[in-house]
Amino acid sequence: MKQTKGERVVGYGVLILFLLAILLPFFWMIVTSFKPNTEISAYPPTVWPVHWTMEHYQNALGRFHFLTYVRNSVVVAVITTACVLALSSMAGFAIARLPIRGKTPMLMGLLMISTFPPIAMVTTLYMMMRWLGWLNSYQALIISYTAINLPFAIWILRNYFLQVPMALFEAAKMDGAGPFQTFYRIFLPLTTPGLFAAAVFTFVASWTEFFMAFVFNSSDQMRTIPVGIALFSSQFSVPYGDIFAGSIISVLPIVILVVIFRRWIVSGLTQGAVKG
Amino acid sequence: MNLPVVTQSQVAHRSLQQGDRTSGYVLLLPSLLVICAVTLFPILYSVWMSLNQVNLTENGYQLQFDGLANYNILVHSGVFWHSVWFTVYYAIVTVAVELVLGTLIALAIQNVQALKGLSLVVMLIPWSLITVVSAEMWSYIYNGVYGILNALLQALHLIGAPVTWLGTPTLAVVSMMAADIWKTTPFVVIIVLGGLQMIPAEYFEAAYIDGANRWQVFWHVTFPLLRGSLALAGLFRILQAFGVFDLPFVLTNGGPGNATQSLAILGEESLFQNLHFGVGSAIAVSTVILVLGACLLFLSVFQSLVRGESA
Repeated sequence: MKQTKGERVVGYGVLILFLLAILLPFFWMIVTSFKPNTEISAYPPTVWPVHWTMEHYQNALGRFHFLTYVRNSVVVAVITTACVLALSSMAGFAIARLPIRGKTPMLMGLLMISTFPPIAMVTTLYMMMRWLGWLNSYQALIISYTAINLPFAIWILRNYFLQVPMALFEAAKMDGAGPFQTFYRIFLPLTTPGLFAAAVFTFVASWTEFFMAFVFNSSDQMRTIPVGIALFSSQFSVPYGDIFAGSIISVLPIVILVVIFRRWIVSGLTQGAVKG
Repeated sequence: MNLPVVTQSQVAHRSLQQGDRTSGYVLLLPSLLVICAVTLFPILYSVWMSLNQVNLTENGYQLQFDGLANYNILVHSGVFWHSVWFTVYYAIVTVAVELVLGTLIALAIQNVQALKGLSLVVMLIPWSLITVVSAEMWSYIYNGVYGILNALLQALHLIGAPVTWLGTPTLAVVSMMAADIWKTTPFVVIIVLGGLQMIPAEYFEAAYIDGANRWQVFWHVTFPLLRGSLALAGLFRILQAFGVFDLPFVLTNGGPGNATQSLAILGEESLFQNLHFGVGSAIAVSTVILVLGACLLFLSVFQSLVRGESA
């Protein structure tokens, strides 16, 4: 499409402003995490730290059991992601390629329900977990997060499975492969990008979820990172330096994931939107 | 259940369709079980609990059917109606702003090639950020005593004295919406950019050759072809916005007064702080009904927009 010079200038201008608007608050958080408390509560604030300090990182790791929260988050997010991948690749394949009655409305219904606000299910879930003795346990969060993230993962994978030519499926069948063999030998290897996309979405969702983690796992030993950070503040003071130090530690693994998997995240999102 | 074993000699003769269907259900079953146990059943059971008085026992609970009593309490509670009102207008304003702003930004930057990978990473950062973290970040920026927002505005001579952004009801609501818009607009931009990339360039060329102006091209070509992406982004955002919890929990804890008390904040309070599980369930069910209504409304408005365009 022909593009005027003016248009390109506007495009660059908007892009730069937009990226700055995203990055500036983030930059402020990083800078603040290296300032001593006197500078954090100084007004007007110092833009660049006058005295650099690592004390907040030491506090976060030492005083607040932050490493315990990190461990809890890692365990929950990794196992949840594994469960979601195992279940959703099977279901996504079945929905895309095997004759099942009413599969599209079923998928849409599940998708809607899984994105309902967690308050809708948390009442009953809390009672279930309490009855099972699963409050303050890993499985309480793993099972909940698996269920919530499954429909979206199934949907992403279904879209990828649909792109594998049906002829391959028929050929495998003629060679005597059953549906399960076709699935493992042919479809899974061809849909690796979809698996990565589903994995990143599930991991990020489990890593960032707060409401259920707060309700189910509130004991200090079982808190995940979001719950831990939210409860850093006491009634009387908000230790912003410590909070931001912990926050930055918790953001790093996700940023690495995003940098590595950015293309697949985007294609996972947009393919779904187009294929509906 | 017997798994179908398909051997080479059988392939040509046996009913393939039947075997495929059975294995389809086998592959689907584990997912369905988990989803039903953790989402569908709890939602339905919450409806039942909301019609009962719920008394916690040592490691279980007792139900006593009580009809619509819990809903009766809610209907006569000003606090409940306020949180319904807050949740609804919070959702409408944030989702509308995010969709419009996100579309505009995506249209402006779609042809800018530079820094593509880098800007993608930057746009994904707010999406992948723990909401609690971004809430803490904004609470420091908004701080009335030493917040950078006041310092900036004072330096630009836009305000005289420091403002307590989270201290008065109206400002607290607006500040919270701004934090939400900061976090989610980039996500909408990414979805719309993806949608734009799927539109073949010839469509635009053909429209321009036919003498269409920019607005006509957007309204008659781009927008109808983007509707899938926009509907998806809108639906996701509505469902999320109606459950807003993390942001008010950290930023204001529902205050000042109950100005930013969303349905989820109110529900959490009556469920887990006051242990009123009957009333809490009724709040949860009300949220579900509202969300369903909002989604249907959004889709029908959206459809009529698209139809109005093609007429």
